[in-house]
Amino acid sequence: MLFPTIDFGLFFAFSLALVWSLNPYNTLKKVVLLALSLAFYASWNWRFLLLLLASGAISYVVGLYVDAAAKRPFRRLALGLGVALDLGILAYFKYLDFFIAQFITLAHAFGFDPPIEFVNVTLPVAISFLTFHAISYIVDVYRGRLPASRSPLDIVLYISFFPHLVAGPIVRAHEFLPQLASPRRAGDFSFGENLLLILGGLFKKMVIANYISVRFVDPVFTDPTQFSRFDLIVAVYAYAVQIYADFSAYTDIAIGVAALLGYRFPQNFNQPYRALGIGDFWRRWHMTLSNWLRDYLYIPLGGNRHGALATARNLLLTMVLGGLWHGANWTFLIWGAMHGAALVIDHAWRRSDAFARFGSRPIARVVDWTLTFHFVCFAWLFFRAPSLDAATQFIAGVWTDNGAPNTMPMIVLPLIACGALTQIMPSRTRVAIGAVLDNRGPAIQVACAFALLYFIIVMAPTASAPFIYFQF
Amino acid sequence: MTDRPPKPASATSPWSWTRVIYAVFALAVFCFPSGLVEWLDEHNASGWLSAPLAIARGVDAVSTAVGLEPAGQQLRKWFQAAVGESDT
Repeated sequence: MLFPTIDFGLFFAFSLALVWSLNPYNTLKKVVLLALSLAFYASWNWRFLLLLLASGAISYVVGLYVDAAAKRPFRRLALGLGVALDLGILAYFKYLDFFIAQFITLAHAFGFDPPIEFVNVTLPVAISFLTFHAISYIVDVYRGRLPASRSPLDIVLYISFFPHLVAGPIVRAHEFLPQLASPRRAGDFSFGENLLLILGGLFKKMVIANYISVRFVDPVFTDPTQFSRFDLIVAVYAYAVQIYADFSAYTDIAIGVAALLGYRFPQNFNQPYRALGIGDFWRRWHMTLSNWLRDYLYIPLGGNRHGALATARNLLLTMVLGGLWHGANWTFLIWGAMHGAALVIDHAWRRSDAFARFGSRPIARVVDWTLTFHFVCFAWLFFRAPSLDAATQFIAGVWTDNGAPNTMPMIVLPLIACGALTQIMPSRTRVAIGAVLDNRGPAIQVACAFALLYFIIVMAPTASAPFIYFQF
Repeated sequence: MTDRPPKPASATSPWSWTRVIYAVFALAVFCFPSGLVEWLDEHNASGWLSAPLAIARGVDAVSTAVGLEPAGQQLRKWFQAAVGESDT
C-alpha cells in the first residue's frame, strides 16, 4: 500500500475520520492507530508483523530496565544488549547473505571451499527504519532525554506509526512519544499547508520522479553500454533530480498525513542541492538520518573531541555505516565512503586559515556550490548502479562514448528544470499559500485542492516506478 | 514579534478537513471513475464489494454521459503525446 495509490487513498480517508472521532478517548485512539498501522504493514507481508511486535517488545523491556535507578547494575550492558538485539535482527535479514558472499569469495581466493549456504530470507519492508526508531527510543531513555514509557502500546505505536513506517522520516523517540500523551489539537496545524505538502509530494512523485525514472534513468542504468556519453552524463543529473523528487515526495506526504492526523514530524529536506559544502549538504538532505547518525553514532564514537585524526576516522566510519544502512551492496559502501572522505576534507577546509581568509568571498561560494553539487551527483552514480561492475561500465561509457547515438527524450530537460524548481522554492512560500487557504471557505479549499489533483492525474504517466527508499 | 491572526473555525476543525478531503476524493472519482472501478473489480473476487462496484459503475456511466471522464482521458492522451509517451 504505497502513498499514491487508490488503496492508500481509501485507507487514509477511513483513518482520518476514525482517528479524529476517537480523539477525546486517547487510549482507544492509540489502539486504533496501532491497528491501522499494523494493517498498513500487513498489506505487504503479514508474517513480519511479529518482527514489528518483537522490536517493540525489546524496546519496551530494555527501556524500563535502563530507566530504573541509575545505580542499577548492568544498565549499560542492558542498553548494549537492546541495541545488539535490534541490530542483530537487521543484520540477519539485511546483511547476512552479503557477508556470507564476501566470506565465500575470500575463502575461494585462498583456495578453500567452505560448506556455508545462503539464508535466502525475504527482506522485511521498512526494517532499516524501524530498527533506527527502536534504537532511538532506548538510547534516548538511557541518556535521560525522556522517561521510559510504561505503556507498551505507546512504544509499538511509535515504532510502527504508519506515516513514517516504510521510508521515514526518522522521528526520534523524544520528538514523538510526548505527542501520544494527550488528545491532539487540530488548531496546532495548518490544514492548507499540509494539504499543499501532500499534493506537492504527489506531483513530485507521480509526475517528475516517475517520468524521469521510467522514460530515461531506468533504461540507462539497466544497460549503460547502449547509451552515449551525453546520455550517461545527463542520466546522472536526472537521477539526482529523480531521487530528490521521489524521496522528498515520500516524506512530504508522510509529514502531511501525520499532521492531518494530529502528529508533528520533523523536516527531512531543506533545499539540499543549494548546499555549500558536503557538511552543509548533510544538514539539508535526509536531515532526520543525518541527525540520527550524528547523535547515535558519530558522537558516541567520540565526535570531534579527540583531535583531527580521530574526527576524520569517526566521520568516515559514520558515513560508511550510513551508506551500508541503505543496503547490503558494495555500491552503498563506496557511496558512504565517498561522502565520508568528502566530509573529512570539508571539515578540514572549513577550519583552515585559507577558508577564514577567502571562504566568504562570492567566488569561493560559487566554487563551493559547484564542487558540492557535482560531487553529490557523481556519488549518486554508485548509489543508483545495481552493482560495482555496472558503475564501472557506466564510467567507462562516459570515457569511451560507447559509439551510441543520443537518445535522451526531450521531456527529460524540462522535468529536470521542474525538479530543480521544486527544490529551490522555499518552504515559507508553501506556508504563506497554506495560510491563505486556511482563511478561505471549504468551497475554495476543495476547488484549489481538486484543481491541483486533477492536473496531477492528467500529467501522471501510465507506468509508475516504486519509491526508491521503499527498498531500504 | 507579531501575533498571527486567529484561524477561522473551518481551518481548525478536523471535521472541516475531513469534509474537504472527502469532497476532493469524490470529485476525483467523478472525473476519473475508471481507476476506482478497476480497483473494486480487482478486489471483488469474493463478491463483498459488489454494491460499491455497482455504485462506481453508475458514477462511471454518469461521468461518461456528461463528458467528464472522456475529457479527462483526452487531456491525459494529449499530455502524454506532448511528452512523447508511446504506450497510450
